[in-house]
Amino acid sequence: MRKSETVHRRALLAGAPVVALGLGGCLESADVTVHEPGKYKGSADPLLDESSRDEVLEKRFQLVQVDR
Amino acid sequence: MARMKFLCDAERCIECNACVTACKNEHEVPWGVNRRRVVVLDDGVPGEKAISVACMHCTDAPCAAVCPVDCFYTTSDGIVLHDKDLCIGCGYCFYACPFGAPQYPQEEAFNARGKMDKCTFCAGGPKEDSSDDEFAMYGRNRIAEEKLPLCAEMCSTKALLAGDGDMVADIYRQRILKRGGRPQTWGWETAYKTA
Repeated sequence: MRKSETVHRRALLAGAPVVALGLGGCLESADVTVHEPGKYKGSADPLLDESSRDEVLEKRFQLVQVDR
Repeated sequence: MARMKFLCDAERCIECNACVTACKNEHEVPWGVNRRRVVVLDDGVPGEKAISVACMHCTDAPCAAVCPVDCFYTTSDGIVLHDKDLCIGCGYCFYACPFGAPQYPQEEAFNARGKMDKCTFCAGGPKEDSSDDEFAMYGRNRIAEEKLPLCAEMCSTKALLAGDGDMVADIYRQRILKRGGRPQTWGWETAYKTA
């Protein structure tokens, strides 16, 4: 009985790290960016949202790049 | 909506490289990368022509077409930008680009390519506008500050123009009307073998 208990305990001690390693894989993030041909999947650019700068840039152009 | 374009007037360019220096300084471009460079045709020969070349922000960008990870995007202004987090540094965009605009910093051992870097029309990249992250990765975002690219603003002879394509074309047309279009300007002699 004592021998079987010892064997049982040893098996548990040996198996615990294996189980812990196996469960460790479950904690990884499964958030993967899947590539779709022709589709941009990068970060959003805040510059894209701003459409009211045409006039300002036009004025700047006239100020800086036109001959004096 | 304005469509942003560059135009370098070869008649006015004096090869001062102010545009190159301005760009490199403003964006702290890494060693070995020249977002903008001046190319001289027939250097040393009377009638030499210099032209400042960088990313031309093509309407149908070949770099975007060949990218295996689709890291390129175009803004509503027509500015072609890319996400360095997605870029794998394969070099395909460099092969595809007729202007050699995409470049790669040699930061690692064994000539390993870093992430692609190119002219952004001073529009930064897909990070928060004018943030430190954006500056570190893409350089200054002058468009978000309602300014135009520094290379064109610094051009000493106003050879390099950057802005709405229609406005740039108008200015160039006025210049041609004023000074006349010399046949040597666009290689007429080469095309028609009169030289």
